[in-house]
Amino acid sequence: MSAVAERPAVTLRERVYRHPLSVRLWHWVTAGAVVGLVFTGFNILNIHPRLYWGEVGNAHTTPIIALESTEPGGPRPATHPAPTALRLGSHRWNVTGHVGILQDAGEDGLYFMIVSTPDSWHFGGMRAWHFVFAWILFLAWACYCIYLLLGGRLKRTLLPSARQVTVRAVVQDLWDHLRLRAARGEAARQYNLLQKLSYLIVIFALVPLMVLTGLTMSNSVTARFPELYTLFGGRQSARTIHALCAVALCLFALVHIAQLFVAGFVNEVRSMITGYFDIQREPGK
Amino acid sequence: MTRLVTRRTVLVGAGAAAVGLIGIDALRGRLPEHMLSASQSLTTHTQRILLRRRPLVREFSPADISAMFPTNGTTQPIGDIYPRLAAGGFRDWALRIDGLVGTPLSLSLPQLQALDARTQITMHNCDEGWNAIAQWKGVPLGHLLRLAAPTRRAQYVVFHCMDKREDGQHYYESIDLFDAFHPQTILAYEMNGQPLAVAYGAPLRLRVETQIGYKNAKYIGRIELVDRLDQFGKGRGGWWEDSDNAVWYAGQ
Repeated sequence: MSAVAERPAVTLRERVYRHPLSVRLWHWVTAGAVVGLVFTGFNILNIHPRLYWGEVGNAHTTPIIALESTEPGGPRPATHPAPTALRLGSHRWNVTGHVGILQDAGEDGLYFMIVSTPDSWHFGGMRAWHFVFAWILFLAWACYCIYLLLGGRLKRTLLPSARQVTVRAVVQDLWDHLRLRAARGEAARQYNLLQKLSYLIVIFALVPLMVLTGLTMSNSVTARFPELYTLFGGRQSARTIHALCAVALCLFALVHIAQLFVAGFVNEVRSMITGYFDIQREPGK
Repeated sequence: MTRLVTRRTVLVGAGAAAVGLIGIDALRGRLPEHMLSASQSLTTHTQRILLRRRPLVREFSPADISAMFPTNGTTQPIGDIYPRLAAGGFRDWALRIDGLVGTPLSLSLPQLQALDARTQITMHNCDEGWNAIAQWKGVPLGHLLRLAAPTRRAQYVVFHCMDKREDGQHYYESIDLFDAFHPQTILAYEMNGQPLAVAYGAPLRLRVETQIGYKNAKYIGRIELVDRLDQFGKGRGGWWEDSDNAVWYAGQ
């Protein structure tokens, strides 16, 4: 008999239960909250699109990052349409019509808004909804963290395994990512190294940083915990870090979604809805 | 034997009940409103727990005072009354405190200035995201309220302002008694050692340091103690709350 015939018959595909209900619920609740937070957050930023470092920042002080009128001393882009420049430190670029959504303001021409909403969507309401989504994100995150830590899931699914942190495995993982090659077979049973690291950074660094910098903008919370100002180097620094973390979170979301196409869109999305994930057996095994 | 009531069935049942309730709420069109009020309630209660020992917000040194302090909202009230009062140096102006109080008060500017004052250098945080530091001097609101003796029914302090906004309504704001009695909540008549300028709310403005920008009403003419806020404007407790869906409790 040949060696091949001696092997037990295997299907090329194996269906495994990958994401328990609690993880799937948390994922979609969080995804919805993040969409809401990013949308309302950019709208809030729009009304004063200037970011500062330190304690104080206003129309009379110098921002480090800003969208401003290309005309010196010109009006703010959000409330008064004007050609817009992006400022980064001392550099300025005219970005009129290059980024974001264009608003046709008649005689004033086209102007730039990061996210544009109808006038009837009030600014005050945007803040109110930002806090709704913030509570959803925070409560879901807190429940998930308890589940991760108490359920042993942190070690089982998110911390890199000993086998993943050998030099050879790290190089292999980086090489696979560069070639946009998804894991197959046994390796697909767990998250790969970069995937684990990015999830760990989002869950234990980015989200806490977002929440804490957000709270640093609260008069009442900082009355109780003035240390928050010290931690982030001032109220305006906290606001700037909050905005930069939002950009980082958007970049994570973009890569996260792009990876679905690399790893198999239907399989990945189904696994986050039904929980079941197909593993492709490596040929010849 | 399989158990009928497992952890899973309990969880799934609770989840289905929650989804059902939310679904019914959504069908009735009440969901957004309920989400907003739940979030508001969570924020208010959490912050009230944090503030129960009434910690003070940070105060700064004179060197930190902003050279330029942006103005916002009304900067020059128009109409018949305010310009006349301002031209007369507010000698004809008096602050009325009435509503649910035992002793309604009417105090002129010199009478207010004769009371014990508090001076504080604090950060003004606008909900738009900018901030600035100034020194404020004024009468602690708690002191005035004790003089007026709110009745047991009184829950909120409403500030009726003299400036009319673009919709023809007078600006107004309200806070509850908890924030009204915070030691740093003052009615300021001086800014950076000078009498309060018109653009900053002359002759009298509120400084409620535990809350943000728009709660700090300018051009105050009358303070009314009430048990409910739905009798003013659209009933949300302030001009920005009515016209812009701004949150009423703005400790965040």
